[in-house]
Amino acid sequence: MTESTAALVPEIELEQISMQYPAAFSDVLALQDVSLSIAKGEFVSLLGPSGCGKTTLLRIMADLIQPTGGRIEVAGKSAKEARLAQRYGIVFQNPVLYDWRKVKQNITLPLELKGVKKSEREARAMELLELVGLQKFADQYPWQLSGGMQQRVAIARALAMEPEILLMDEPFSALDEFSRERLNEELLSIWSKVGNTIVFVTHNISEAVFLSDRVFVLSPHPGRLSAVAEISLPRPRTKEMRNSEAFFRLIAQIRDSFEGV
Amino acid sequence: MDGPLAAQVATQEDPVTHQTITASQKAKRKAGDGKASRIWLPLAGGVLFFVLWELQIFHRIFDLKTYQLPLPSAIGTTLVKNFDLLVNYAGYTLTEAVLGMLIGSALGFAVALIAAIWPRWGSGGVMIVASLNAVPIVALAPIMNLWFGADIGSRIAIVAFTTMAAMAINAHKGMKMIDPLALDLMHSYAATKFEVFRYVRITSSLPFVFTALKINTTASMIGAIVGEFFFASRGLGYLLSNSIKVAKMPLGWSCIVIAAAAGVLFYLVVERLEKVFIKWHPSQRA
Repeated sequence: MTESTAALVPEIELEQISMQYPAAFSDVLALQDVSLSIAKGEFVSLLGPSGCGKTTLLRIMADLIQPTGGRIEVAGKSAKEARLAQRYGIVFQNPVLYDWRKVKQNITLPLELKGVKKSEREARAMELLELVGLQKFADQYPWQLSGGMQQRVAIARALAMEPEILLMDEPFSALDEFSRERLNEELLSIWSKVGNTIVFVTHNISEAVFLSDRVFVLSPHPGRLSAVAEISLPRPRTKEMRNSEAFFRLIAQIRDSFEGV
Repeated sequence: MDGPLAAQVATQEDPVTHQTITASQKAKRKAGDGKASRIWLPLAGGVLFFVLWELQIFHRIFDLKTYQLPLPSAIGTTLVKNFDLLVNYAGYTLTEAVLGMLIGSALGFAVALIAAIWPRWGSGGVMIVASLNAVPIVALAPIMNLWFGADIGSRIAIVAFTTMAAMAINAHKGMKMIDPLALDLMHSYAATKFEVFRYVRITSSLPFVFTALKINTTASMIGAIVGEFFFASRGLGYLLSNSIKVAKMPLGWSCIVIAAAAGVLFYLVVERLEKVFIKWHPSQRA
């Protein structure tokens, strides 16, 4: 674990985060004492099987839910302050695009809510569409695009407010393996240009390894942090690395950490 | 793996779009082949129906006399003879139906909006509107007549009453049936409650609003016509009830034919508006 870099400029800090959902017979402990620190500009993944609380953890960072215990700091502020200041962009498992707005208008929505001038926000939308390679589709409706393209629009929208942090909740899990790998590469290329902090939730080990600087491995019942894997593959990452021995060794190492649980 | 890759990815996905276009073209061609069965077969069925009617086959089957069920030729002749009057009355009845439907639907939408914004107070409002809808027109007509006079106003009120509930219930459902992630997204933008309504809930409710409007076109014609049975001195309902009272059956049937035509016209106008306003909705996509 890169304690050194994480200690330098922590962007997200979680201390003893717990989350308890009330249930009929006994309360469900979704997260138990999760502490972690994510450095500015770092790409980390939250990896684990379903029920391990990875999405819950991301939603806590996004201030969409409040933890029942522990302390969280996002960009030096409380999670709520960070949300109100639009410090993060979020991408969900589904694109969640509004069908009645054209692709471009979907991207300008967060800017519109902030009162950015029309000419300015349209220019920004075109810039972002170029970044995700969809400038040709600006005036299409979302439902006229393929699933992968829709998810790229969602990424462009999440970047609209120039957020320091990008929170991604299994953004490519609904796509086929080929589109997923292509979008993994594209996401890294976008990240190399934008340079923000990315927290990426996934249940796919190879995806986590390919993308991340560090992988936080979570295990279920109750959800807790069971291991942290440092991904030493050099950057920029390339397609070919997927076939490298180092890549497979890292995957095996993470898989082993699940066996031990 | 930067710029050029992105462009490459975009072109790689193009064939997919092409494929869907050819698939839809194929579907269209198939539909073209079925033109004979789609148009001519129902038309032949309709013609056969009228021929059997005119030849009094139905009269024999159901043991009816021609004064009980006039022949199509008699209805047609009466319709042509009284065409100006019928069109004039149809216009009057349609005015009642359209104005009443617009007022009733607007009120219903307002109730839905209030119910969605302040659920604690508003949900009861939807219940009240729904219970009002259960009041029969027969009971409503004398009251509305007392309130708004025997003129057009009382029928507009009747129609407004009978069209409110369908709109309130449907629009309320549309405003509440939102993808939770879409709301999370607005929350992440720190959007206010009113911005959520403006940008998400109201637009999402539009398909439901149009369903209610389509239901209300027929409901409003019924409301206007039945309302005229009681105190009116004009309109299709007035003419219909009076013709039947004095056994002018062909004239009564002409009223029914014209009322049906007016109802269909009204429905088609609303359906056309639906195509314009919610062309993004799955139900309207080509």
